[in-house]
Amino acid sequence: MKAQQRIQRLLSPLLQPFIAIFIGLLTGAIAISIVGAPILETYKELWMGAFGNFYFMTSTFARATPILIIGLGVSLAFRAGVFNLGAEGQMVLGAVSAALAALYVPGPGIVKILSALIAGITVAGLWSLLAGWMETKFKVQLLISTLLLNYVAVLFASFLVSEPFQDRSGSAALAQTPMLEQAAWLPKLFAGMSLHWGFIIGVILAIVMYFIFKLTSVGYEVKMLGLNPYFASYGGVNKTKVLLASMFISGGLAGLAGTVEVLGTQYRFVDGALTGPGFAWTGMMATLLANSHPLGTAVTAIFLAALETGAMGLERNTDVPLEIASVIKSVLILLISAKISFNWWKRMKKGRDKNGMV
Amino acid sequence: MSIRLEMRKMTKQYGDFLANEDISFTLNAGEVHAIVGENGAGKTTLMRMLYGMEPPTSGQIYLDGEPVSFDGPNDAISHGIGMVHQHFMLFSDFTAAENVVIGHEPKKAGFFRRKDAIDTVNKLAGQYQIQVRPNVKVADASVGEQQRIEILKVLYQGANIIILDEPTAVLTPIEVKGLLKNIKNLAEQGKSVILITHKLREVMEVADRVTVLRNGKVTGSVNKEETTADELAKLMVGRELQTISDRIQLNGNSLLEVNELTIKEKQEKPLLDRISLSVRRGEIVGIAGVSGNGQSELLQAISGLRKVNGGKVLIDGKDVTNQSVADIRLAGLSHIPEDRYLWGAAKQATVEETGLMGYQNKPDYNNKSILLKKQFRSLLSSWIKKFEIKTTSINEQAGNLSGGNLQKLIVSRELGQETPLLLAAEPTRGVDIGAMEYIHEALLQKRNNGDGILLISSELTEILTLSDRILVIYEGKIVGELTREEATEEKISILMAGGSKQ
Repeated sequence: MKAQQRIQRLLSPLLQPFIAIFIGLLTGAIAISIVGAPILETYKELWMGAFGNFYFMTSTFARATPILIIGLGVSLAFRAGVFNLGAEGQMVLGAVSAALAALYVPGPGIVKILSALIAGITVAGLWSLLAGWMETKFKVQLLISTLLLNYVAVLFASFLVSEPFQDRSGSAALAQTPMLEQAAWLPKLFAGMSLHWGFIIGVILAIVMYFIFKLTSVGYEVKMLGLNPYFASYGGVNKTKVLLASMFISGGLAGLAGTVEVLGTQYRFVDGALTGPGFAWTGMMATLLANSHPLGTAVTAIFLAALETGAMGLERNTDVPLEIASVIKSVLILLISAKISFNWWKRMKKGRDKNGMV
Repeated sequence: MSIRLEMRKMTKQYGDFLANEDISFTLNAGEVHAIVGENGAGKTTLMRMLYGMEPPTSGQIYLDGEPVSFDGPNDAISHGIGMVHQHFMLFSDFTAAENVVIGHEPKKAGFFRRKDAIDTVNKLAGQYQIQVRPNVKVADASVGEQQRIEILKVLYQGANIIILDEPTAVLTPIEVKGLLKNIKNLAEQGKSVILITHKLREVMEVADRVTVLRNGKVTGSVNKEETTADELAKLMVGRELQTISDRIQLNGNSLLEVNELTIKEKQEKPLLDRISLSVRRGEIVGIAGVSGNGQSELLQAISGLRKVNGGKVLIDGKDVTNQSVADIRLAGLSHIPEDRYLWGAAKQATVEETGLMGYQNKPDYNNKSILLKKQFRSLLSSWIKKFEIKTTSINEQAGNLSGGNLQKLIVSRELGQETPLLLAAEPTRGVDIGAMEYIHEALLQKRNNGDGILLISSELTEILTLSDRILVIYEGKIVGELTREEATEEKISILMAGGSKQ
């Protein structure tokens, strides 16, 4: 009985995302049948494309890596009750800082890797902290400021690699930094596969965050602040401090995601290579889908990455277009929005009920 | 007297839960019939069924002997049933007259006849002796006047049966007197009034008959002449009430010193105007006042939730003015907040998480940032046992607890801090009599142990029962101080309304 309850409690946060994913796949099935392709066959191809063999599976995990790390950062902010919509800018700024650190800090490879990690996390963290500071100092809404700061960060990074730090070694003159020396690369987990150590970092972070929320006083205070800021400050939680720390860490994680992409996959900062695939927004979606649960975010991040890699395989092998992944993703976004609106509506209704009789 | 309304064997079932069970109720013409009961006794459900907001599971309503059923409030209104809700449903930018006639405006050629509306309101107001200024904007009217506007609205809509839901909860003592007089007038002119309340004194003053509900059932239906407030309380609670502990006279030294405390926002008149007060060990100091006269600001200033512009707060000799909440708590303050859902808990947090607030950084429950949950759980279960907090488990959501049980959890959490000073704001607001007894007893015991309590309450009875000294706050100032011996409801009421001590 006790064990059963335990398992139930452990699995209950996963129930909603599974239902959402199920509905998403169901809708996808309708789209597939409209195209005229066999549904089960198509989904099998999708699955094969994502997990069909060791190479595909590791590619999926590699793609999931930045999504997962960003998702964790966003989930921390959401738990603390702050809307950090600036993951994209934070990631890009972190990535460009990391690339420059790895290029220009002198020393052996490990020193370059460490300084890149520190630079990527710190710069992105401070960028995010700027929005937090504006909120506490001038009451500039985080929702707006984080979103707008994305443009500043992305365009500034783009300027950096198209002017002062552009790679001029080749003749193509693309907007990118020169390539990092090989010693500064994050090692691959398996030879010949794209999966690198960033994935392990992400998984460890997810587990650490899970235990921080479950076991520590800091996690408790963050959670209470997110659930009811008045209650938290009444109980002696320093709202400003927790908010700023959450913003720094949340942004720092986005920066880390950008850093491991640079050090582990691209080996240079390429303008548009991080914004193009929409890692930041997919990461946010992973968090929302998992209700800000760290372990759940790991699962949904892998799922969303699999949807993308799987769809690529699908397009290679069948007539079903790549966009089927977007259809499924859109349904998930709809469901998430519906959930948020429903909660909001329920709160409004409750507020009205409270005004009735007691 | 003819029976105007009869509800026969009304039952309402939600899942397994019987909110109302076989409730029968009659209402005569020209009668005031009070329905009393603790929170959750089923008063709300019964009225929702009568007002067409909920269909009954079984049972039948008769109006003037005819069986009726209502599809919604509008249906009920058209049958002559009107309800004045606890929270008024008025448009605050419109005048009294406009609010009264809303929905059935006097019109001529499609144009609103404001003058007719004003005349109608004046006529109704004169007929039932209900004082309302027809041209006053609702936003500028006092709470009492807003309530009178609501009553006129119901009368204008042609109600013969008027349901008043906890009408005195928001009023000052003087306004309460006026309302009770209005109710009597209405009854004398043939209207029937259903008065929902848990204040027995008002029931004894104005009702003709009283129906008592407990756990969804009728535990008594009696004529006012044949009962007493004590008997009604017994029917409500289901047992004899305890008598409260004796007070041990203690002359402790000063614990809380508030000097010339001022909170001022730009240009406006100060929210707190040079307030000075002190609380000694072994003393309960009560602050009486109509809500909104600076009580919230005072609480927030003392507990560190709000910065002050001037003055000092000392706890046990230590200056804590404008310090952080955590530091002030450390200096020896615990705090039962005035609004349990806003300040005292997070609805989606568990019972355990709600109880943990304020303990998360204490060395007994925190080892290098790791929460010692086992130790805390044994403390929590001792509270649950001692205060008889009803919860299915410590993982239950705090928002699912009943108001009284959540309040008991908050009170035990703050008492469990064992600080020398306690701020107790509205400690029993909205809780039932049983929980109220517990809380009052616990506060007195804390006082008898030599701790100091600053009690803020808008319930005069509570202030009079518990306080050793009573201060009255009005428009951000302390306007009077009375000892326990000299304090009477009369004297306090006058001060509360801004009158002088004489």
